[in-house]
Amino acid sequence: MKIKLLLLTFALIFAFGCNQSATDTTTNTAPNAAVKKRIGVSLLTREDDFYRELEAGLQEAARQNNYELIIQSGDKDLSKQQSQIDNFLVQKVDAIIVCPTDTRGIAPAIERANAANILVFTADIAAGGGKIVSHVASDNVAGGRLAAQYIIKALGGEGVVGIIGQPEVQSVVDRETGFKEEIAKNSNITLVPTLNGGGVRDRALKAADDLIQGNPNLKAIFCINDETALGALSSVEARGKNDLIIIGYDAAPEAVAAIKRGSALKADVAQQPRDIGTKTIEAVARHFQGEAVEAKISVPVKIVDAETAK
Amino acid sequence: MNQSIRGKLSGFVIFAAIAAESIVFSAAAPQFASLDNLVNVALSIAVIGILAVGMTFVILTGGIDLSIGSVVALAGVVAALVTQKTDVAVLGFAASFGIGLASGAFNGLTIAFFRVPSFVVTLAVLTIARGLAFILSEGRSIGNLPESFGRLGKSVFLGIPFSVWLMFLAFALGWFVLQNTTFGRHVYAVGGNREAAFLSGVKTKAVTFWVYVLNGFLVGLAAIVLASRLGAGVPNSGLQYELDVIAAVVVGGTSLSGGRGSVVSTLLGAIFIGVLNNGLNLIGVDTYVQKIVLGVVILLAVLADKFNKTD
Repeated sequence: MKIKLLLLTFALIFAFGCNQSATDTTTNTAPNAAVKKRIGVSLLTREDDFYRELEAGLQEAARQNNYELIIQSGDKDLSKQQSQIDNFLVQKVDAIIVCPTDTRGIAPAIERANAANILVFTADIAAGGGKIVSHVASDNVAGGRLAAQYIIKALGGEGVVGIIGQPEVQSVVDRETGFKEEIAKNSNITLVPTLNGGGVRDRALKAADDLIQGNPNLKAIFCINDETALGALSSVEARGKNDLIIIGYDAAPEAVAAIKRGSALKADVAQQPRDIGTKTIEAVARHFQGEAVEAKISVPVKIVDAETAK
Repeated sequence: MNQSIRGKLSGFVIFAAIAAESIVFSAAAPQFASLDNLVNVALSIAVIGILAVGMTFVILTGGIDLSIGSVVALAGVVAALVTQKTDVAVLGFAASFGIGLASGAFNGLTIAFFRVPSFVVTLAVLTIARGLAFILSEGRSIGNLPESFGRLGKSVFLGIPFSVWLMFLAFALGWFVLQNTTFGRHVYAVGGNREAAFLSGVKTKAVTFWVYVLNGFLVGLAAIVLASRLGAGVPNSGLQYELDVIAAVVVGGTSLSGGRGSVVSTLLGAIFIGVLNNGLNLIGVDTYVQKIVLGVVILLAVLADKFNKTD
């Protein structure tokens, strides 16, 4: 009985294995397979609008360049992402695009790719080690500056302002850095210590509760993403503090709706994730054609407020 | 006799600890000792507090429930989706209770009748519920809901947010059931000594099952309170709530080995942690340092429990 089961299992594995290699050969012997470059992509996640747009941009540009994309999601899990990269090495892809789940932690996997002579590009989030051909991302420092300029103008250059941040993520830290620099340089605004909202709505709500409670004359809050901004908005609305100004980041549909209905969320810094996707593939293409590619490619950001939101 | 003195002693210790931290924070942060901030602290522990009542029952039977944070997210997402489809928030809230009760019944059934360790069952449900929450919501928050959805989270009764009243109601209910009903006595009996309880005629399986169902009901309630406050169903909400809740129960002095503890001490535990988080935030202590402080507090509480038991 047990032996039968064992045999069946082997048979299944064998059948499955054959099946897989069969499909592999078909793709390889397709007419233009010899020239079709394969690019492995490990995204940070597929679970927000930003990454959906980024993925759409990658696919659009890959179609134009006739590249085959193998897209996987790291699901914000470093070990998962590392094994995805290792799989790409086994598959011998022509290039790898990573949106690291952990800036520093991803370095060893990238070094393994370097050792296997496979090109690595990063998009949206930078890697802390290994050799990267090019890093394509929004200029997050500039985004933080834009948010600061908006608040400086709205408050007439003075008042108490708080930040709800997420110190674990480098791109988010850049937003905070740009924000703080601009505030320090061009205004008399007092910044209170940054609270950590974890980038998620329920923790941001709690952080906003404490921020408002601890600083009775708080005038504005800079939130490092939209889930944070919407959490802060819930706190502000529950307290009827509608004269507070909240600035978010990412311009997700729900945040834009809140801006349009005239809530305390007054403006958002909008990234252009689709452009990040297309520019990453373009960088890969330029490298394949033998052109020199900049080590860092910045994709511009812009402010969305009640007037500019369509 | 001896045991009740010990129980009172541990209750006194946590009470003294709350008083001590309050004095320190009042001195360090002028905004701390205000009525406003008291309400703020109460509000910040409302969801955790409701969950902690259910968890106290579970832990009293010697079990554990790791699934609550994920089920809170799932129930919140389902509540938001149903509200979005029907435009009736009450139907969404009913669906949230449905999800809570269903997952509670599943946990209870598997643990009580198939004798699978609660740790494993609820760990499985943790990842299943989180996955479902992401699938149903397609990975994004379900917002832009009718105004009635957020009303519960915003309304205030006699100067105290409705969410806080619901938490107190949950504690009152939990206290009443444990102290004044046969079921409550059986919960203690099952956790204290399952064999002895079974031999003296307690339906240990049924008691275990209903404890998880009751817990599921409270998870449904907590999900409503959270989703209504956020004005949305958020698939990545409730992350690690199970840890915060277990911390509140343990710091309160309920024994993880079952049979000893009460919802009153859990309430005190939740208040202690709530005051700690709030005070540290008000003084502007780094959030990473806060995590360490909380860890040390939990360790001290467990050591105190050990000391209590062996002495």
